[in-house]
Amino acid sequence: MSRSACNVLMRIPLGLWTALLVLMLATAPGLARAQADKSAPELRTADDDFSRQLSELKRTFADLSKKFEDSAQTIEHLNSAEGARKEIEELREHVGKLLGAVADNGAVGGLGSKALRRADEKLKSLEQETRYKQEDKQFLIDRWRELKGATEGAIKELEGARKEFSDLLRKLQTNEDFIDELLQIREHQRAIDVIHTLTGGIRDASEKLKNLLGAIKTPGA
Amino acid sequence: MRARVGGLASTLLAFGLCSCSPDNGSGYIEIKSTPPSAAVTLYLDSVRLDPIKNGTALLRQKVGVSKLQIDADGGNLAVLCSIDVKKNRITSVTISTLSRPARCLCGRLSGTDAAGNRTCIG
Repeated sequence: MSRSACNVLMRIPLGLWTALLVLMLATAPGLARAQADKSAPELRTADDDFSRQLSELKRTFADLSKKFEDSAQTIEHLNSAEGARKEIEELREHVGKLLGAVADNGAVGGLGSKALRRADEKLKSLEQETRYKQEDKQFLIDRWRELKGATEGAIKELEGARKEFSDLLRKLQTNEDFIDELLQIREHQRAIDVIHTLTGGIRDASEKLKNLLGAIKTPGA
Repeated sequence: MRARVGGLASTLLAFGLCSCSPDNGSGYIEIKSTPPSAAVTLYLDSVRLDPIKNGTALLRQKVGVSKLQIDADGGNLAVLCSIDVKKNRITSVTISTLSRPARCLCGRLSGTDAAGNRTCIG
């Protein structure tokens, strides 16, 4: 490297080098993964993305169920309406994240429809297939039908989850608004009573999440 | 070399600015259709929505006011109502096609309620 080039490099602040290093480290695994994805696109099954997202969602269900139980316990012992409002706000954020995933335009919801469309297309094309022996063709058709059934089942459960989460979010925001109204007229004790009543609903949501965890089957697993 | 370093610095600066842009989060819109089997084509701002399945759709939407629109005569879009989306809150809207033209009914309404100037809040 020439002396002038070295001089230019030496003048670059250390912070800039650090930022560059962080940027390189952050993008390197992504580039490697993109390369690997490019090399074997056909090896991925139709519902890979859906199944992966679904598994991640199920992990979040478990975490959230625990968070709900902790929140219910905290709220039960709270004597400050302000503290409870903060707790409800946090809960809304957690429920919102789940709702975001299962929304019609959310990550999991969209992938479910995509996986289902793919299974339909695959079944249609396999039924018109003439290259394979009848039994081999039937085997493939049966497996795709199973996969389609499992995907439909998971989507149905997700629709149920969506309803549960949206009802819960509505309940939380309505309670929060009611507590606000009560605080505006200095009805602190009444506000605390409302908060305590809410714990039942939160525990119920935690139970429902646990049930969902068991009900949602990952297609192809 | 100087040009490259300059380019790199601009890239990093742009990267930094992008990552600092404010994110107000998102909220949710629940759209119900009456009757549930009604086939209406809806637009949220300019984005065409997928047909509503089983009479209900739930959408994630960035915080702020969005316009719910419907296909109108002459290929234009007609505003049904505005929806004020708040962070981590759900705003409910019912689209009724029982009468013509289709109407937007808010689960909760903000102050104004004139046709075409209706704002639903969460």
